[in-house]
Amino acid sequence: MLRRGSGPLLWLSLQAALVLVSCFTDMETGPGAGVSTQPNGDRFKIEGRAIVPGLKTQDWVSTARVLVEGEEYVGFLRTDGSFAVNDIPSGSYVVEVVTPTYRFEPVRVDITSKGKMRARLVNYIKTSEVIRQPYPLQVRAVGPHSYFMKRETWGWTDFLMNPMVMMMVLPLLIIVLLPKVVNTNDPEMRKEMEQSMNMLNPNPELPDVSELMTKLFSGGSKGPSKAGSSSKGSRPAAKRRFLYH
Amino acid sequence: MEKLILLLLKLCILVCVVHAVFEDQVGKFDWRQQYVGKVRFSHFDTQIQSSKKVLVATESNVFAALNTRTGELLWRHVDKTGPEGNIDAYLHYAQDTVLVVGNGRMLRSWDVNIGGLNWEILLDSGSFQSACLVGQQGIVKHVAVLKKTVISVHYLSNGHQKWIENLPESETVDYQTVYSDGNGQVFVLGIVPHSHITIVVYSMEDGEIIKQVSVEAPWLSNIPGSCVVVGQGMLMCVDSTTLSLNILDLHQQLQMTQIPLQSLGLEVDPGFHPSLVSHQPNPAQKPLSEFFLQLGPERILLLQLNNGQIVKLNDFKPLKVLLASFATTGEKTVAAVMSPKNATAYSINLFSADTGRRLLDTTLIFPVDPNGGKPERLHVQAFLKKDDSVGYRVMVQTEDHALTFIQQPGRVMWTREEALSDVVTMEMVDLPLTGTQAELEGEFGKKAAIQDGLLSMVLKRLSSQLIMLQAWIAHLWKLFYDARKPRSQVKNEVSIENLSRDEFNLQKMMVMVTSSGKLFGIDSKTGGILWKHYLDNVPSNAAFKLMVQRTTAHFPHPPQCTLLIKDKDTGLATLHVFNPIFGRRSQVTPPALPQPILQSLMLPLIDQDYAKVLLLVDDQYKVSAFPSTKNVLQQLQETASSIFFFIVDSSQGRLSGYRLRTDLSTEQVWEVAIPTEVQKIVFVKGKRPNEHVHSQGRVMGDRSVLYKYLNPNLLAVVTESTDLHQERSFIGILLIDGVTGRIIHKAVQRKARGPVHVVHSENWVVYEYWSTKSRRNEFSVIELYEGMELYNSTVFSSLDRPHAPQVLQQSYIFPSFISTMEATLTEKGITSRHLLIGLPSGGILSLPKMFLDPRRPEIVSEQTREENLIPYAPELIIRTEWFINYNQTVSRVRGIYTAPSGLESTCLVVAYGLDIYQTRVYPSKQFDVLKDDYDYMLISSVLFALFFATMISKRLAEVKLLNRAWR
Repeated sequence: MLRRGSGPLLWLSLQAALVLVSCFTDMETGPGAGVSTQPNGDRFKIEGRAIVPGLKTQDWVSTARVLVEGEEYVGFLRTDGSFAVNDIPSGSYVVEVVTPTYRFEPVRVDITSKGKMRARLVNYIKTSEVIRQPYPLQVRAVGPHSYFMKRETWGWTDFLMNPMVMMMVLPLLIIVLLPKVVNTNDPEMRKEMEQSMNMLNPNPELPDVSELMTKLFSGGSKGPSKAGSSSKGSRPAAKRRFLYH
Repeated sequence: MEKLILLLLKLCILVCVVHAVFEDQVGKFDWRQQYVGKVRFSHFDTQIQSSKKVLVATESNVFAALNTRTGELLWRHVDKTGPEGNIDAYLHYAQDTVLVVGNGRMLRSWDVNIGGLNWEILLDSGSFQSACLVGQQGIVKHVAVLKKTVISVHYLSNGHQKWIENLPESETVDYQTVYSDGNGQVFVLGIVPHSHITIVVYSMEDGEIIKQVSVEAPWLSNIPGSCVVVGQGMLMCVDSTTLSLNILDLHQQLQMTQIPLQSLGLEVDPGFHPSLVSHQPNPAQKPLSEFFLQLGPERILLLQLNNGQIVKLNDFKPLKVLLASFATTGEKTVAAVMSPKNATAYSINLFSADTGRRLLDTTLIFPVDPNGGKPERLHVQAFLKKDDSVGYRVMVQTEDHALTFIQQPGRVMWTREEALSDVVTMEMVDLPLTGTQAELEGEFGKKAAIQDGLLSMVLKRLSSQLIMLQAWIAHLWKLFYDARKPRSQVKNEVSIENLSRDEFNLQKMMVMVTSSGKLFGIDSKTGGILWKHYLDNVPSNAAFKLMVQRTTAHFPHPPQCTLLIKDKDTGLATLHVFNPIFGRRSQVTPPALPQPILQSLMLPLIDQDYAKVLLLVDDQYKVSAFPSTKNVLQQLQETASSIFFFIVDSSQGRLSGYRLRTDLSTEQVWEVAIPTEVQKIVFVKGKRPNEHVHSQGRVMGDRSVLYKYLNPNLLAVVTESTDLHQERSFIGILLIDGVTGRIIHKAVQRKARGPVHVVHSENWVVYEYWSTKSRRNEFSVIELYEGMELYNSTVFSSLDRPHAPQVLQQSYIFPSFISTMEATLTEKGITSRHLLIGLPSGGILSLPKMFLDPRRPEIVSEQTREENLIPYAPELIIRTEWFINYNQTVSRVRGIYTAPSGLESTCLVVAYGLDIYQTRVYPSKQFDVLKDDYDYMLISSVLFALFFATMISKRLAEVKLLNRAWR
């Protein structure tokens, strides 16, 4: 059984759909029973026009077909883009214009036993929902079919804009370029920098967390001097260079 | 917030499973061939002198224009299949073609230049008889359509009805033809069998009856079959009982003049029904007074009616005339006559129609395929050359539905194998190894090698290695040689001789069986036809089953395919055994099958020549084996107790299982009756025997395993209700174990009807049906699981499975109709599965099986996310990116064939219908091979750059060290 997507609300509307639809279509001539039981019953035609904006009809009509309920009924396009699918008993049908190049939205067309026509949007979930469409049908191509994926091409910009690369390159730039830009020989600047360094490290007496940890785990007096040297070593060195170079 | 996460998750999954074609891959791995079907009417477009168009209307309800230079389609219109789209009549005038369609239901006019419809009108119901164009003063403006009781005349410009008249005395008179020759009158000819001809003459202007006459003709029964109109409106009929020609002047209608054929010195071949052919070049003018009279299968004469006298213009002796046809260009009319030249060639000569003299330099000799059918029809295109002489081209139609277009002096311009428009079944066969590979194989394969001793073995090995080296050098040389030539000249001509398996077994031989009885061998890489073989004794309503008995893997033995051809009415069958690589009939003589065949099955047993054993069950439930050597019979006796099969009788609604006894008789084990008054069996589908399932279970979110119920003997039986009322119709699905007859599961879909499409694979069954309640197509999936524990993990036995499997089912809405459905297949079954769905629009959708998973949750939880389950959504979506055939639509897809390749990631797909389309699909992307867009340039340039960077930095570091040392 079909599982309901979003609970009782949808179910309710589905039921409503059923009632509505059964009111609208004549049961006797429904798509299931009608064809076989009464071959000489009234037959109707579905008319409309298909348009591909910005294109002459001659260029595409020879590849197009109008399909009603799959291939149950087939119609062809006239040279001006209009079409008529003949010989259809009353019922409710999905009408679709198919071409290999352009995409058209399908339309549902309801025909009563008296031959009254109405077109509406196709909605397979809420089958009774009526959003009227013009009849005779006016089908406009939504655009060309998109069959292809875009290849992932490799470009310098893609490479450079990659966040990983950015993260790597920017600090490198700062390390290399900043000393050149900022004149470190200027005593005032040096002072300012020292101040800012102190700002960054507000409490010089507070031990470093990593140092604390290594102390804790290694438990010996050897630990900090060895383990800390690798993690800390670079920074003082850098600082030194920074200041006295 | 949760919704957002859900959406993101969904998107992520969607992106993950997307696998579309890239634009640069167009035509790289895929090809399409378009067909039109067996030609019924043809017309050469002579509007413009340089026109390259031939219009064809076919028995497959297709109207198309072909390019006469290349044989390619210019445009094509595919109507409904069946009698409702049947093209009854073809009329052509200027640039418009009028077709009568669907037993006179519709009249359509086409503009042949752009291939668009001019107009279409619905005619009144009534059985169609005949149609003709009606002209006046040399201009054709109307078309007349004759039906059983009524005649109507329509304007050619817009289809509107000019007048419609009931035919007089239509209860007694059988009206058969309508004729007009441009004098403002329409003649309707009918007969009262065994009595007289009735001629009714209508005025074209207002449909009034001008004249109505009856003429005695008790011998006549079929006007179109035995009569033509010749010259100044003279009706000429041939009577095969008295062997005479009878002439009636339609304008005077006095009586028939009888001219016995003997008085003309003509004799009819015994048992042959003589026939007449006339020619009316312009519908607004009178027909020619010359006509053909066929007196035997190889005897046709050109006669002329001159003032009531019949003059013999040419009897073409000593030529054996098979076919003859008129053609007109400008004012000149010629008769083309075809006769056999020798066993493998035919010749065509041109004769002037009004004198019967042979035209000089018009002989055309062309070869014919000895494996093809005989010529059936001749379509001639005549044209005036610059020196005012007549040139011509012919299109020969043979009885195997092939069209061959030939130019003087015998150059075959193109051939269209229209039999391929109706492929019934197919198989893909691995190509054989190359000579060198075979040599290597032979070294170890031959039994004699063991006795040869060490030294000769070493020598053999050395020689084979030498051969391989030689082949490699030759290959390199060819590569080098080709590289110097311009790209366009390098053509890899594929022929049977140089066919060999490629590295990944991606190129295979497609063996296609068509309903006309013609077999084809097609190269799957290029689509080229490598061999064709016409079986001329195939009944018209035959059912075919193609089986591969021996693959190419057993080198010294040639591969072997067996085609079972069964007459659907009588049940009598014949076997055609052939080599699938070369198409030749095999030396093995198949057994004669005097009894109707009920069932055929391939066993996994092989005989000493590595051919699989084919069992045939006849209507006495006796089993015969093919091949039936002693070895096979012995093996059968040993394994008989484990061979089970089933027989479906859908007319009786019975499904019964049988077991083989050691004496090759059978005993019934089980029977399932399905009452035919309530429902009928439409499908019984087992699993494909060459399918592999890699994983036995599914890992759940909590790391436990849900084991699949993998029963290889499981059958999915689909039934449809006989009551088609939309409230009461239903479809049923039964899962039956084919060995024990145990019903594993039963599901009924109420308010649903067919057509049902089913795919049965692994532990799941997917089926599609039409829901009459909501008027939409729905998919339903059933999955079977053993549970958290396996009963017997080593081997599956239907006889020992005490626990019923757990059944999970879910349904979805599908927003389109479907034509056919199949699942992808890969070598080891590791790759995820996709469903390939043929849509009426011509697209082939590749839908991941992931979307059809009954465990898709309504509410997402941590565990389902862990399992990568997509949350349930009622509607499945169709994305055009998932169309594996992009804009190469396949009309009227009837079947999709999938075959594994040597690469686990790749599945070969062939879709056939009116067209044939071949491609490869990668359901889980190409994980085992570098993609075809792999950027070798980038990777090598990065490597080089890194290499140089290290070199330079090393050098720099050295310099720096040196400098520091100096400091």
